[in-house]
Amino acid sequence: MNVTTLRTKAESQIREQFDAASASLPGTGWVSALRARAMDTFAAEGLPSRRVEEWKYTDLRDRLREVPAPAAASPGSVTVADIDAALGPVGAIDAERIVLVDGVYRADLSKVTAEATVIELMSLAAMLTKAPAWLEGKFASDGGPVVSLNTAFMSDGVMLKVRKGQDPGRPVLLVHARTSAEPSAIAVRNVISVEVGGKLTLVEAHVALDGAARGALANVVTDVTLADGAACDHIKCLVDTTSSTHLATWNTKLGKDASYSGFQLTASPALARNDINIMFAGEGSKLDLSGVFLARGSEHIDTTLVVDHAVPHCESRELFKGVLADRAHGIFQGKIIVRPDAQKTDGKQMSQALMLSPDAQFSSKPELEIYADDVVCGHGATCTEIDADLLFYCRSRGIPSDVARAMLTESFIGEAVEKIENEDVREAIGTLAIGWLRDE
Amino acid sequence: MAAVQETIEQVKSIDVDKYKYGFETEIESEKAPRGLSEDIVRFISEKKGEPAWMLEWRLDAYRRWRALKEPTWAKLHYPKIDFEDLYYYSAPKGTTGPKSLDEVDPQLLETYAKLGIPLKEQEILAGVRKAGEPSPSDAPSEGADGYASMKGKVAIDAVFDSVSVVTTFKKELAKAGVIFCSISEALREHPELVKKYLGTVVPQSDNFYAALNSAVFSDGSFVYVPEGVRCPMELSTYFRINEKDTGQFERTLIIADKGSYVSYLEGCTAPMRDENQLHAAVVELIALDDAEIKYSTVQNWYPGDKDGKGGIFNFVTKRGDCRGKNSKISWTQVETGSAITWKYPSCILRGDNSRGEFYSIAISNGYQQVDSGTKMIHLGRNTTSRIISKGIAAGKSQNTYRGLVSAHRKATGARNFTNCDSLLIGDKCGAHTVPYLEARNSSAQFEHEATTSKISDNMLFYCTQRGLSPEEAIALVVNGFVRDVLQHLPMEFMAETQKLIGISLEGSVG
Repeated sequence: MNVTTLRTKAESQIREQFDAASASLPGTGWVSALRARAMDTFAAEGLPSRRVEEWKYTDLRDRLREVPAPAAASPGSVTVADIDAALGPVGAIDAERIVLVDGVYRADLSKVTAEATVIELMSLAAMLTKAPAWLEGKFASDGGPVVSLNTAFMSDGVMLKVRKGQDPGRPVLLVHARTSAEPSAIAVRNVISVEVGGKLTLVEAHVALDGAARGALANVVTDVTLADGAACDHIKCLVDTTSSTHLATWNTKLGKDASYSGFQLTASPALARNDINIMFAGEGSKLDLSGVFLARGSEHIDTTLVVDHAVPHCESRELFKGVLADRAHGIFQGKIIVRPDAQKTDGKQMSQALMLSPDAQFSSKPELEIYADDVVCGHGATCTEIDADLLFYCRSRGIPSDVARAMLTESFIGEAVEKIENEDVREAIGTLAIGWLRDE
Repeated sequence: MAAVQETIEQVKSIDVDKYKYGFETEIESEKAPRGLSEDIVRFISEKKGEPAWMLEWRLDAYRRWRALKEPTWAKLHYPKIDFEDLYYYSAPKGTTGPKSLDEVDPQLLETYAKLGIPLKEQEILAGVRKAGEPSPSDAPSEGADGYASMKGKVAIDAVFDSVSVVTTFKKELAKAGVIFCSISEALREHPELVKKYLGTVVPQSDNFYAALNSAVFSDGSFVYVPEGVRCPMELSTYFRINEKDTGQFERTLIIADKGSYVSYLEGCTAPMRDENQLHAAVVELIALDDAEIKYSTVQNWYPGDKDGKGGIFNFVTKRGDCRGKNSKISWTQVETGSAITWKYPSCILRGDNSRGEFYSIAISNGYQQVDSGTKMIHLGRNTTSRIISKGIAAGKSQNTYRGLVSAHRKATGARNFTNCDSLLIGDKCGAHTVPYLEARNSSAQFEHEATTSKISDNMLFYCTQRGLSPEEAIALVVNGFVRDVLQHLPMEFMAETQKLIGISLEGSVG
């Protein structure tokens, strides 16, 4: 009997799209070979289903029924004003600006004033076309199905480097804008590195411009490498109104005495999966990750993180807060690994969900995997609805019920938002989150 | 301080007898041929003189087992078990239905005496107090306050290899209407009860090991507490593996009818051998309206030697069903033995206002691997559950807590509190926590916290500075660490547990 691998419609579409697009994707030689290998790696397992432990709560095979075609080159009619309008409060942040439209770097819309001695910026597409040999090592081969797909299809992205001991002084805003009127798929890869002693505040904003189609698919991978003593604040915000599917991966590697603060605001995509993988490669480093996920309707937001303490003397903190309304499903999976000999590790993790409607769902899987003894690690997870006592207290003070609920919800997510160090960014993110809450 | 002092003394004395239950009893036994087939299932069923429906039930389970795959998701590594190379039935010869203790092979009685398990009815569990005596003021005091008034009598069902040897205090229990006997006897005397409840909590094809057990289980205990009865004494089963190359498969079924209460204790030991032995038990608890079942286990199967050779592979399915409203099931376990432990005593909270509890101390040393935890499945309204798990890993062992707390969409007002702490002693061991929380309605209120740490240098320094040796200091800290769980153990087990904690951690200092 012949055994044939059953493919879902989406999986067949992906293969067909790859065969059709591979010739026009940037890069030849080892880049083409890399893409083909990644495609084969993906095809071997296909889309992850709930039988795959890491995807237990987000069955992509079931949820991704149709895959839109890769985005065509953008027509070029986008203006800075369009981008500003879509960015809202984030656009007002005083920042260096880099813009990608439909997955393609647009120098005309970007504005970077920092000296080339401080920041080095290149388009990934240009680099893939040149294909220097050293670049190949930047693409990990075992990042899971979503990263494999990204490697196969990546059209562009930025390669950003903060040079040794330098600090651009103001945040770098990386805008991922979508304009396509047809549902389309984009695959973007960003390669960020901060050299020894450098500092960077990076804000990634995902926006859809007026007229952008509903039901798009974005697959964005951002690799961050921090050299010894480097510091990076990395903020991502997505406030979606176009029922898109958002697959985002952060792979961050910390050198010695490095510090990394990450924050993610994810509001209202139809489906979002945020993968965060942190690797401590040098001693004495610090990690502070936080996030807010907001969902209503039948939206589904999954945050899955793995913090790998491979070396001793590192500290990690995670705080994630979710607000879930209607039939929304929020997921948090957080794994802290402490490798043998990673002594003196200090890890703490907390995930909390506030459920505003009876049918909201929250699934959490905080996980500790510890192989060293001289460590302090802990995690907590809670979920509940708004505390009736708190609500009663507010109402007894004359605050109407809906205002009281809003106040309590805002203060709930405030704890995570406050972790953002940069004041402008913090305010902009806070405004976006509160805007979503008041949108009910 | 008495209890702590006792543990410290135990820790001191453990060099000599690390696993003191490792002896073997030479007793003639009757075995089924090696391997597993439908014929073996028929053989076992025939040996037991079971009704036809039971044989069909077993054969059904056997066929389902053939179709199932061994689970591999647990954080356990062990050589593949050859299920065709085991004896699935072993019984001490000449024990087919002894009328009284006098007919029991004296070798057997001696075995249980060595284990500290008195089977003669006039005796009371060693180390506690004599029957009929009022609770003396010098009774073990630390942490035992809540149990001081408990009756001193314990009825015991002793299971040797695959067969129940003797059940004590039967008459007295019968007076209260409580049925406490081996499950084979229950199949003969009360088939209607067994038929009604067997497999309703753990169905035949629930998982690989439960299916295997359903096909070949040879004995176990059966308890039925009738409506409104508070069982007059603690019930206890003592399991002993003796025969070489045998698998032990017991099946325990406990039914607490409306408004009844029963407390059940389970203990187990096995001889020291270089080969691994398989133990796959199934325990089903059913609590009807307003009933309460308290199930306590001290699992002390042979854990293997210091190089990880030998030991019991313990794959156990334990599940309680709070079927009636206001029912309560509480699991308390002390896991110190077994080379491999795969065990998740769970509660299905079906009845409104029902409550599930899980208290666990899991200690691993040497090359032991423990993957244990619980599931609290909230289905009814206003159900509550509480999980307290304390894992202690020493030596080169791996100790995993794996648990699930879930609330169904209609389980409004579900509440859960989970606390799992792990303590690491030594830098070659691992402690892992894998909890799943699934809330499908907003009124569910779940709280989960877990910590992992080692015994802090400050604590040890403080203790040694006060004149305690490092061993004493560790015993003191560990006893404090597990105190939350110890308090939920019946008194008989507390003493034993504190000794076990000492024994299990032997060699972990330094």
